[in-house]
Amino acid sequence: MKGIEIKRILKNKSIVIGGTIVLLLILCAIFAPIISTHDPYEMNMNETLLKPGEQGHLLGTDQYGRDLLTRIIYGARVSLIVGISSVAISMIIGVTIGLIAGYYGGLIDAFFMRIVDIFLSFPVVLLAIALVAALGPGIENVIIAIGLVYWTNYARVVRGNVLSIKEEDFVQAAKTIGSSNFRIIFYNILPNTMSSIIVIATLGLGVAIVSEATLSFLGLGIEPPEASWGWTLAFGMKYIRETAHLSLYPGLAIIITVLGFNLLGDGIRDLTDNKLEKK
Amino acid sequence: MKKIMNKLLQLILVLLGITILVFSLLYLIPGDPAVTLLGQDATQEEINRFKEQMGLNDSYIDQLTRYIGGVIQGDLGKSYIQNESVVDIVLSTLPATLELAIVALIIALLIAIPIGILSAVKRATWIDYLGMIFAQIGVSMPVFWLGLLLILGFSIHLNILPSFGRGGSVFEALIKTITTGNLYYIFESLKYLILPALTLGLMSAAFITRMVRAAMLEVLQMDYVRTADAKGVSDSMIIIKHAFRNALIPIVTIIGLQFGNLLGGAIVTETIFAWPGVGRLIITAISQRDFTVVQGGVLVIAFLFAVINLIVDLLYTLINPRIRS
Amino acid sequence: MKDRIKLLFVICVVAVLAACSFSNPEESISSGDEGASYKNEIKVGLDVDATKLDPRLASDSSSKRVTEVVYNGLIRLNANLEAMPDLAESWENPDELTWIFNLRKDVKFHDGEELTAEDVKYTFDTILDPAFQSNSLALFSPITSVEVIDDYKVQFNLSQPYAPLLSYLEIGIVPKHLAEADSESLTTKPVGTGPYKFESWDKNNKIVLTANKEYWNGAPKTDKLVYFIIPDNSTRVASLESGDIDFIHSPLSASDVERMRGNKDFVTEEKEGVGYTYLNFNMKNDKTADLKVRQAISHLIDKETISKAIYRGMDKPAKSPLIPASWAYSDDVPDFEYSPEKAKELLKEAGYEDTNGDGIVEKNGVDLEIELSTHTEDPNRIQVVEYLQNELSKNGIKTSVTTTEWSTFSNNMMEGKYQVALLGWLNLFDPDRATYNQFHSSSGNNYGKYNNPKVDALLEEGRKTNDQAKRQEIYKEIATIVNEEVAYNVLLYQGYVVIHSKKLVGFESSPNGSFFNMVNVQVEN
Repeated sequence: MKGIEIKRILKNKSIVIGGTIVLLLILCAIFAPIISTHDPYEMNMNETLLKPGEQGHLLGTDQYGRDLLTRIIYGARVSLIVGISSVAISMIIGVTIGLIAGYYGGLIDAFFMRIVDIFLSFPVVLLAIALVAALGPGIENVIIAIGLVYWTNYARVVRGNVLSIKEEDFVQAAKTIGSSNFRIIFYNILPNTMSSIIVIATLGLGVAIVSEATLSFLGLGIEPPEASWGWTLAFGMKYIRETAHLSLYPGLAIIITVLGFNLLGDGIRDLTDNKLEKK
Repeated sequence: MKKIMNKLLQLILVLLGITILVFSLLYLIPGDPAVTLLGQDATQEEINRFKEQMGLNDSYIDQLTRYIGGVIQGDLGKSYIQNESVVDIVLSTLPATLELAIVALIIALLIAIPIGILSAVKRATWIDYLGMIFAQIGVSMPVFWLGLLLILGFSIHLNILPSFGRGGSVFEALIKTITTGNLYYIFESLKYLILPALTLGLMSAAFITRMVRAAMLEVLQMDYVRTADAKGVSDSMIIIKHAFRNALIPIVTIIGLQFGNLLGGAIVTETIFAWPGVGRLIITAISQRDFTVVQGGVLVIAFLFAVINLIVDLLYTLINPRIRS
Repeated sequence: MKDRIKLLFVICVVAVLAACSFSNPEESISSGDEGASYKNEIKVGLDVDATKLDPRLASDSSSKRVTEVVYNGLIRLNANLEAMPDLAESWENPDELTWIFNLRKDVKFHDGEELTAEDVKYTFDTILDPAFQSNSLALFSPITSVEVIDDYKVQFNLSQPYAPLLSYLEIGIVPKHLAEADSESLTTKPVGTGPYKFESWDKNNKIVLTANKEYWNGAPKTDKLVYFIIPDNSTRVASLESGDIDFIHSPLSASDVERMRGNKDFVTEEKEGVGYTYLNFNMKNDKTADLKVRQAISHLIDKETISKAIYRGMDKPAKSPLIPASWAYSDDVPDFEYSPEKAKELLKEAGYEDTNGDGIVEKNGVDLEIELSTHTEDPNRIQVVEYLQNELSKNGIKTSVTTTEWSTFSNNMMEGKYQVALLGWLNLFDPDRATYNQFHSSSGNNYGKYNNPKVDALLEEGRKTNDQAKRQEIYKEIATIVNEEVAYNVLLYQGYVVIHSKKLVGFESSPNGSFFNMVNVQVEN
């Protein structure tokens, strides 16, 4: 049984490629101090903006003479922290609202769905910008802002799932034996929405990472000297006419990472969809 | 009819919610328009005097009720910085944004529909893989990065397209070209639009490609297509006549949603290309703390978004006769 | 059947296209005297949109670029920041508290009305009215009244001797008859006496000005002057390179300036500007209140490196709040050299030492922590802060960085919510403007609450003294004291950079960034 499952997973190209990218990213983040060749923070104002390959810097140096490859490796930590934390915030808010709205229905449902409508009816980038402006800069606030902005997907999808699940026999059975609403929601319904939540979360990681970069580009991101890709990229653009490496490589790092999460998310969706069909 | 009334009521509620949300957020942002307006030499005293006069020192509730009161009467207030009515300011920038979003959408569709259809028809061949790689990379790429690459390529290295600004209204230029028969006007106007629209359009194309492909795949697996296949109708005919028409329903929905995303993406794109639209207006207004303009801009975009959704709903019923009955 | 319709359609389209022409109908060329032909417009790129086009209310640089060519002031500053006649032909100083200006008699506003002393009085009366909320009010506060003596003679009465007054009188004179009728119309549709008339303002896009053919000092050489708003520094340079615009000036990013210096198709002109970039220390914070700590930090700042590596020589290392563009500049005000050893010693004297070996100095077990802050609008400043963060951390001071938007940042400064902040001052036409607001204990812009009665007294004296040589001595003494006590650490003198196409001829830059000289500019075809 298990063997078949793994085979099915391995046959899905999206999962394999996406998963490999994500795995590499996580390894980079964990073992950053071991695999990187330089100190990510140490400046050397005599070796600024070296081109890739010069003086032992594989990807060159930034405007402070810091090794770019090292910065990008450490940047994986920042991106993962921002991605995972903000997705966790979105997920908690969105799933809770989706469960409550779907389970209770009626006015409660209408109320929460109007809130979802509010969030959906204007550009979320704007909301994130305003939130960071209100909260102030720094990694925590960027996480909170991104987290508060992207919860609507979870709410809508979970609500939809709950609406169909709550009519199923096992939920009705739980009701008749007198289980509390809380118990039904978290023990009977939630586990059955997990696969959709995982898909949204995986795709959401990519969105969060791009959002961080966009905020940094607009000057509202993470504070230096943190090695954020978005920050490096935003400043690298200032030097793009002298040398493209400073904006090119962080940009590629973002694209590959987001690609990884997207492929993984798509793959998981395919897999779970197929499962549903078989049922 | 009842459905439309219901929708309108919902729309009003949503707009009210947005007003309150944005107002509260702006209330929490430190700083005020006085800093921009009075310059760096301004003292705390002068700033306080200004705030007092503008009513910015009143309580949150007072300010909010006053603002909502105005909105209900159709008065979005006056810009703190530019001394003009917010409605005028926002409406003067709206055509630029609409123009950008519409042209971007056209570009996106021109790219996405053929690639999407082809990928679906030639499923699991190298054509499909290439199409999907394009779509995946497009989705993963930060907009501002793409914009800068395009400027670097087309404006700086090739020097064939302007890198910023707007060459007047495309609509007006079109009319002028038609009435005078001089193509100069439309070209002059379009050349400014190409890079920003391409930036925005490519991003959007990636999304739509995936949707088109998915929708087509679903339809292609349906029975009547297979029947048509069995009848020996040629491939291209099946695709266009049967499959695409049926795939249109989800695609139209996606396009409606995508238009909203385009308006959002326009914010960043407008900043890069100095495109004088609502997005840039709002970004500038946020940094200048020109609260009334931020509010007005957001409300107009939200309103637009809601209207587009309504239109999509209507189109939906039009395309799919089954819903009508 | 269908194919035929298609064919017909194609033929129609081709026919319509063939009937169309392709030419620029608006292309008209104004020819110069020597036979060279010139364009009929000058295209300038600016960084931000204007806010209010009324000279009395214009606080941002773009509004000033408009008002300085649409209006005239009583005087105009030359390249050495000395006052030259403009609307005032001459002036006299019967006593320390009285200034009399004789106006030109041939000056008309763009609507045809003549300019008289009444307009001058009206302009300053409104500026001095607190309810009008002019941001220039503070500059003119020593004026008690403005009297009309006759149509072409106006007298300013002062409450105290005020030497800097003359250099601030560049401010535009507005038409009383229009401003009184509708006080707000001038903010969007300025009507002045200057060489250019206002034509249109397309918000966030461009401002169009046209030559005033009846200008009393001779019509401008080019018919149109258009300002395009291009916020991103690099995009603005790119637009210049691609020929979309002819002229840009500061603010610019250092790497672009460095690159353009080597580009033979463009002229890059660099001058000393009228501003400085500095570190502001909060005297109310327990860490930075300690003079030794401030001095130690000063010894950790390598201004040479900052100027070279981050500003690429665009801004020069500074010594004191007195800028080189001004007559008040002194070369020999003592400053702190870069020396980590001296910093370490000073920290030790202040009681800070690394006793637990974690690389951070502490006093009574408490780490020395410093927060450096600046605003996000200027990437160079962010880079300076990031560089200093590294320098300070390396030398035992635990340093963090906070960057916020200008509005928030400015708010924090006002409320004293900062430790060490990096920012700048602009428009320092007079040494009074570079010191009084900054260091006087009663000033609203003395964010760090620096307080030294001796400096206060000197600042008052500098204001009251009319003799330039004496004033120079006074300001040198002020600069020496505030340097020693590290009220500020002035890092850089801001450079002023103009880049324009080789085809643009006749421009002479002035350190305050004025566009008045656009009257002489022509752009070759």
